[in-house]
Amino acid sequence: MSNRYTKIYFDPYLFFSLFLLVALGLFFLYSASNGDLSIVIKQSIYALLGFVIMILVSQADPDLFRRSSLAFIIFAIFLLGITYLFGPEINGARRWVRIGSFSFQSSELLKLALPIFLATFLSDKRLPIQSREIISTLAIILVAFLLVASQPDLGTGLIVALSGFFVLFLSGLSWSFIGGAIVFLIISSPLIWNSLLQPFQQQRIATLFNPELDPFGAGWNIIQSKIAIGSGGIFGKGFGEGSQTQLNFLPETKTDFIFSVIGEEFGFLGVFLLLSIYFFILMRCLYLALSARDRFCRLVIGGLTLTFAANLIINLSMVVGLIPVVGMPLPFISKGGSSLISLFFAFGIITSMGTHKKFLPQ
Amino acid sequence: MIFEERQVEKNNFSSRAIFLFILVGVGFLVVLFQVFSLQVSSYSSYEIAALNNKNYSVPVQPLRGEILDRNGEAIVRNEPTFDLITQPDLIEDPELLLEILKPVIHLSAAEESQYLKKFTEKAFVNKELVLKKDLTIEEIARFNVRSFGFKNIFIDKRHRRISDYPKIFSHVLGYTSRADNQYDSSVGIPLSHWVDAELTYENGLINGKTGLEETYNKHLLGKYGQRIYEINARGRLVKTLAYYPPEKGLDLITNLDIEAQMSAAKALGDRKGAVVAIDLSSGGINVLFSAPNYSTNKLSNGMSVKEFKNLIQNPDKPFFNRALQGRYPPASTIKPAIGMFGLTNKLVAWDDEIDDPGFFMLPENGRIYRGWKKGGHSNVNLKKALMVSSNTYFFKLAYQSDMKDLASYFSLLGFGDKVCSDCFDEDQAFLPTPEWKYKNFNVPWFTGDTVNIGVGQGYLVATPMQLANYISIIANKGQSITPSIVQAKQKILKQETASQVLLSNRDWANMHDALTSVIEGEGTASSIKSLKTFQVAGKSGTAELVSLDSKEAYLEVRDTELLRDHSIIIAFGPMPNPQYAVSVVIENGESGGAVAGPVAIEVLKSLLNEQ
Repeated sequence: MSNRYTKIYFDPYLFFSLFLLVALGLFFLYSASNGDLSIVIKQSIYALLGFVIMILVSQADPDLFRRSSLAFIIFAIFLLGITYLFGPEINGARRWVRIGSFSFQSSELLKLALPIFLATFLSDKRLPIQSREIISTLAIILVAFLLVASQPDLGTGLIVALSGFFVLFLSGLSWSFIGGAIVFLIISSPLIWNSLLQPFQQQRIATLFNPELDPFGAGWNIIQSKIAIGSGGIFGKGFGEGSQTQLNFLPETKTDFIFSVIGEEFGFLGVFLLLSIYFFILMRCLYLALSARDRFCRLVIGGLTLTFAANLIINLSMVVGLIPVVGMPLPFISKGGSSLISLFFAFGIITSMGTHKKFLPQ
Repeated sequence: MIFEERQVEKNNFSSRAIFLFILVGVGFLVVLFQVFSLQVSSYSSYEIAALNNKNYSVPVQPLRGEILDRNGEAIVRNEPTFDLITQPDLIEDPELLLEILKPVIHLSAAEESQYLKKFTEKAFVNKELVLKKDLTIEEIARFNVRSFGFKNIFIDKRHRRISDYPKIFSHVLGYTSRADNQYDSSVGIPLSHWVDAELTYENGLINGKTGLEETYNKHLLGKYGQRIYEINARGRLVKTLAYYPPEKGLDLITNLDIEAQMSAAKALGDRKGAVVAIDLSSGGINVLFSAPNYSTNKLSNGMSVKEFKNLIQNPDKPFFNRALQGRYPPASTIKPAIGMFGLTNKLVAWDDEIDDPGFFMLPENGRIYRGWKKGGHSNVNLKKALMVSSNTYFFKLAYQSDMKDLASYFSLLGFGDKVCSDCFDEDQAFLPTPEWKYKNFNVPWFTGDTVNIGVGQGYLVATPMQLANYISIIANKGQSITPSIVQAKQKILKQETASQVLLSNRDWANMHDALTSVIEGEGTASSIKSLKTFQVAGKSGTAELVSLDSKEAYLEVRDTELLRDHSIIIAFGPMPNPQYAVSVVIENGESGGAVAGPVAIEVLKSLLNEQ
């Protein structure tokens, strides 16, 4: 028992690859913000805070998360409710909650709380999972999704729902159920298009397939992003030399489209290096999940990692013009404090779950 | 949970987790593939797209070439003017600026409001804005003394197209005006960028609209330069990336002679008419004058609407180029051509005499065609007929001619066609043929019509340019050189091959002798004999505007000035080795030799430096 108090729970692979990623991110951000040092300094403070939070969180025993998962999700939903009622309205959406001088997106919390709660709920269920449990899980996912989507924030809502689905799938949802759900989704997709999607969301999808339709409107972002990346070539135009970035042809360079900045200034080699770091982190997480001490830890690591991966791939696919433009930052690189803190929090949990081992042989 | 079940769960999780991570891996590959196709496969097209985004090229206007007379003196030149230019982007308060500037440089209310109106837009995109055009020398001096106080204002040199002889050369030179969207596409600059062109002329991007300015616009214009700016997404100019200077246009060396043109204008005075003079050795046009005229300086550099309206509505039609477009009956000046036709077709010989009773009777119907002198000239041969301008002789000769043959002979002499190689908007006037008359009036050509042609009346009309061309063919003894304004040695005009009108040397000598006697002997234009020291050959004419049978009747219509006869002369000299040919038409001037003659002599004297 004495080890328990002397050991520091720490995964060097994860820690140093994240450190490399964040350091590169700050470097990219400097160029993406046209050399605005104050933005970089602010972001580095968040990053430092993030690393501290990650180390602190990883010291907690997984059981602590299991025991507090209900309280956690209730707190997250409570904050969402407060945001919905009292949050400041920015661009027609209420997404931010303000505590003192610090403000963050309340949906970030739910992105963590939901998979942990579902992992707790499903970790002691027998295989295969029963329909009653499936239905309750789906109901919880639906509520979480609706809460976020009604802000409105469809992008984050989908990520939250996805985080729930990942846990459900990993915990042993039957294949026949999945198959049925996919068939159902395909059949009902015209209905979703017509009744659930807002006209601006429909337009985003339409412009994806033909951005030239509206080169100065909705298509602008996609066109300029593709030009930025494409004109980077193999070696890139050099740090601070990207004309698309520096002359502001590229929109949202500090947030959603920062990947295009990297593509323009560092070329295919830079992109390849960046994706390799991400891939390494994901592989390390997979290893941690497979070697975790129990089912709860496996499910949490799996759920959080896959959510992170989904987040990443959606952002990448968006800026390279594969899917419609949805507001989603590039994890660990895009400017934004609450997203960064929440990511470090998630990786703190992953480290905790991956490094705490049972003393009893399994 | 028992151990086996735990193992089953663990395996189940592992396979599912690996499955999902494979999907993630596929996602990575898809993204990587897309990035590869953007950055490697389609690199060049995206590179161009990025350059097109940030590069903004604007044309730089070249200086137009000057137009010079045959002595190298400028007829049109570029006069520098000075404009006050500002950089709105660097100016914080434009109204304050105007307040400070007012004591130094006078600004009209219109100039101020125009400036303030465009200020914000120009500041936003970092472009220059003209505050005042055409500063006076005093204003420039006042500004330069205080310029340290005005940091973002400077004086820039522009130009104006100026002629020192704006009126007398107006029709030849023509004018320039703003090139509304008629831009040079060969420069390779998108049409929308031309509004930001760097100007050399105060009046903007100018093109020739009429006259030499139009005909030789391409040569005069020069080659546009280019400045390539880097711009940002808001269209703001960031910096110059490249600059290719413009090339000045070609100076046009013309055959025009300023002195001779001035003497033509002076001799014509305030009468309406035209003068054309041709250098016989080269076909070069030395004088091309039409009156009344207008000021090209005003038209090129801004004329008030009222002034323009007055010009347009003036009944004397100052824009009408009488030298190239005026259609006049050649009257008696056609007689040498009729004579040459008769000689060529062996209808007459120099010694053949006829009796001239003062009229000619058409054998078919007994219709009488009168001569200008009552009682006639008694016995006349060809030389005398030309000298005294016997109508009867040429009525008879025309009567013997076939109109079809006569028409094709006339066209050899340039009638009915454009004769000048580089004149702007030249009229081909009209050469009638029997087919034309039948087609248009549904009546056949009568011999009476040919008889009328014999004295240059009737359907045949010619421009002063055609008359000058015609007399220069005679002066050159059949050698026809296409007249041109610009000197052929400059090799920018297309000179057509010269044709020949064949007559024996003896016939040409006789013809020159006969035409010399018109002025130097007892001919119809002998009144101008004493005006000069050299000998001149020629033929005068009086073109009737109304066909009348008696002098008394003409005295009645004479009261209306616009119905008075046109006075015409075609001449060449000095004899016997002529160097220049000239044609003069004076509208409603009456009696050809006495009225148009002195003008022709003045021009010849000027060309020969015999003032």
